[in-house]
Amino acid sequence: MEIELKEIRDFVAAIPPFDRLPEEVVTRLAGRLSIEYVRRGHPVPPDGEEISRLYIIRRGAIALYSKESLMGMLGEGDVCTSFCAAQLMPEFTVKATEDTLLYSIPCKELAELVSGDPSVLHFIRHSAAQRLKEAVSRIQEQSQSSLLHSYAGDYCKGPVVTAPPGISIQDAARLMTEKGISSLLLMEEGKPAGILTDRDIRTRCVAPGLPLETPVEEIMTHGIISARTTDSLFDALLTMTRKQVHHLPVFDEQELRGILTITDIMRQEGMSTVHLTSTIRKAGSVEELVEASRMLPRLQMQLVNMGADQEHVGKAVSAVTDALTVRLIELKEAEIGPPPVPYAWICAGSQARREQTSHSDQDNGLIVSDEMQPEHEAWFEALARFVNDGLNACGFVYCPGNVMASNPEWRQTETVWQDYFDRWINQPEPKALMLSSIFFDMRVVHGDRRLLSNLRGRILEQTPKNQLFLGHMTRNALTHRPPLGFFRDFVLVHDGQHDDTLDLKHSGLVPIIDMARIYALAEGLPETSTLDRLQAAAGTPSLSQGGAANLQDAFEFISRLRLEHQARQIAAGEAPDNFMAPAQLSKLEREHLKDAFKVVQTMQATLELRYQTDRI
Amino acid sequence: MRFNPFSLDARRERLARKAPSGPLHDFLSTAFPPPHTPIDRAPILAVDFETTGLDPASDHLLSVGHVEVVRGRVELRTARHQVIRSPRTLAGDNVAIHQLTDDQVAGGRPLDAVITDLLRELAGKVLLAHHAAVETGFLREACRRLYGMAPLFPVIDTLHLAKRQLERRNQPYQGSELRLFNLREKYGLPRYRAHNALCDAIATAELFLVQAANSRGRRAPPLKNFLLHT
Repeated sequence: MEIELKEIRDFVAAIPPFDRLPEEVVTRLAGRLSIEYVRRGHPVPPDGEEISRLYIIRRGAIALYSKESLMGMLGEGDVCTSFCAAQLMPEFTVKATEDTLLYSIPCKELAELVSGDPSVLHFIRHSAAQRLKEAVSRIQEQSQSSLLHSYAGDYCKGPVVTAPPGISIQDAARLMTEKGISSLLLMEEGKPAGILTDRDIRTRCVAPGLPLETPVEEIMTHGIISARTTDSLFDALLTMTRKQVHHLPVFDEQELRGILTITDIMRQEGMSTVHLTSTIRKAGSVEELVEASRMLPRLQMQLVNMGADQEHVGKAVSAVTDALTVRLIELKEAEIGPPPVPYAWICAGSQARREQTSHSDQDNGLIVSDEMQPEHEAWFEALARFVNDGLNACGFVYCPGNVMASNPEWRQTETVWQDYFDRWINQPEPKALMLSSIFFDMRVVHGDRRLLSNLRGRILEQTPKNQLFLGHMTRNALTHRPPLGFFRDFVLVHDGQHDDTLDLKHSGLVPIIDMARIYALAEGLPETSTLDRLQAAAGTPSLSQGGAANLQDAFEFISRLRLEHQARQIAAGEAPDNFMAPAQLSKLEREHLKDAFKVVQTMQATLELRYQTDRI
Repeated sequence: MRFNPFSLDARRERLARKAPSGPLHDFLSTAFPPPHTPIDRAPILAVDFETTGLDPASDHLLSVGHVEVVRGRVELRTARHQVIRSPRTLAGDNVAIHQLTDDQVAGGRPLDAVITDLLRELAGKVLLAHHAAVETGFLREACRRLYGMAPLFPVIDTLHLAKRQLERRNQPYQGSELRLFNLREKYGLPRYRAHNALCDAIATAELFLVQAANSRGRRAPPLKNFLLHT
């Protein structure tokens, strides 16, 4: 190569996957490139070209279509591998969406050039979505030893000693002592009727002075929560955390296989969410809650290190936040008395989606029954202030947008909430919607669940029909876009100023969360978590199966990066945040992140087309 | 097609008969691309010279860069850059412009070897340059000195094409708008920092791709629409 081609070589050398190639290979590659220019709206390759080529976009942008539907969009510094793919998609076409300058090389020639590097060959033959899928499944395989990959069936202890519920407390105690067990399962006609623990005998029989002949069914815990042998220990742990139980009978298809105790899991886990939530449940003051919540970042870190994925970490952290909220409410109610009318304490945003990471902002509100009278206002205000202050003290800082129950705007009766939603949906204003989109992710933490379910039913009945509302939601959702030029710029800037960081939350996760919300609202789906929404919307007119799978992969991958980043910060004693310096990413991670961003960008473009956001 | 005794190719044949055997004769013996060739099928060589000044009679050629445009693509594997050995010491100004040092120039090849290669590359192709008067003027002058006569070439001049387009639209313009750098900016082509003969030849070739694409209707127009009348 002529040394004068250095600029073109440097451009190519900074682009994945070519950044992995030895310098002399890149130099040879640059010397074999062809440069072509395609006007906006014209096909790539231009008519009559029969050799398959790999294209590198130097300037401009191209779009990839399969059977009319948009498959991807590529911009400056992107590589179009589609023509080199092992199998071309059916009716595959590529078009320039801007005036575009392309570098290209025949796929065969390139394959020969990079034959020494299988990973580059692999890159060339696969699409961004395929590569991302593989990366996600590789990460999942790596977390083998975790609670996610241990199953309740392997850790529960059997055979289980059982007795009929009519047995006397004394006989039950004798049986338990004889067998050396701390809990006894009461079975009736092959089905679990209840469970009796040492603790039950102490607190419900001995302490109140019940006669020893009393049948066990009077003091046993009814409505047994059980697990299946195929449940992961993680799921079992979550069940225990949420239901506040320490024993789970484990069943297979036919019968009871054993009992899984919290101790069995703790032995696996070290520190436990259940342990933390039960500490919270017993806390007698805000100070104790603050103390307990200090454990949360470490818990999150531990979960990540054990290989828990975004979904599980989010659920665990949200469960702890829920427990804190409930305990704060209980403490205040003990002080000011029971509520004058029914109400529901609702959480919004990430806590509602069960996607929280430790110490995010708090977002909450109150739905009060329409029976409320003006004189009741003071009770709710006192409750709201106490809980908001308490959560803030526990590290869930005040919401910067003031979306909190202590704000009278978000402490209202059912009717007012209905009016809010009616207005948001039927007379959408972009700015108002930007603030309110958080309320389309809502969940009851404490109180009367019907207050929210009535409201939700009404919302989901209206949203699918309202194109203007969905259009405005879409336009707002598109304000956060993945920074696709980021990587190249990062690589090209050699001045030692790598102060720029990547906001994983706003440039990666928020766009996916926003899109998932729109799919759910457009299809009238009640799901609130992002992965559940994508799952439920897959295959509906709003979202293709393939699109859903790609977005799920992208969400998991970016979440994983964020969790690992936060785990490192927590380990270093820093406050966890969403800002990652690209230098912390390996080359491969950078590549996968770019693929994830591509997926997001493509889906955003599809949504944009669907709701014609440029016309509203 | 009727034979036209004044066509470029007819003039080429007459010159070829007079040329001494050697590189110039070989060059003139190869037919020029027919004027009706669709522009995207015409063989083109983008050429850029760096010189010590603008006057072919008194200034010197310093370096030559060229790259082929084949079927609408600039082919980098055909890119060449050659520095011409010159006994003259470079004036300070030129060093700054051309980024060539005295050492590079002293390490270059003799003028006749460079011209021989260039003529061989150019045979059967259209010469493409930005403000082509420099390239044609210096090449003709070099041939006159080396072989005793000057050849002719089919020429596409990207500056001329840009000027013609502005004039056809009756758009007033400033001379500086027609500079290679400014035209590339106008069309959104990347900014090349380096300033040397090969880089400028590639830059010119890219500009030409844009001009050719913009002039295209449903079919590619013929080569003759782009040729400079010489």
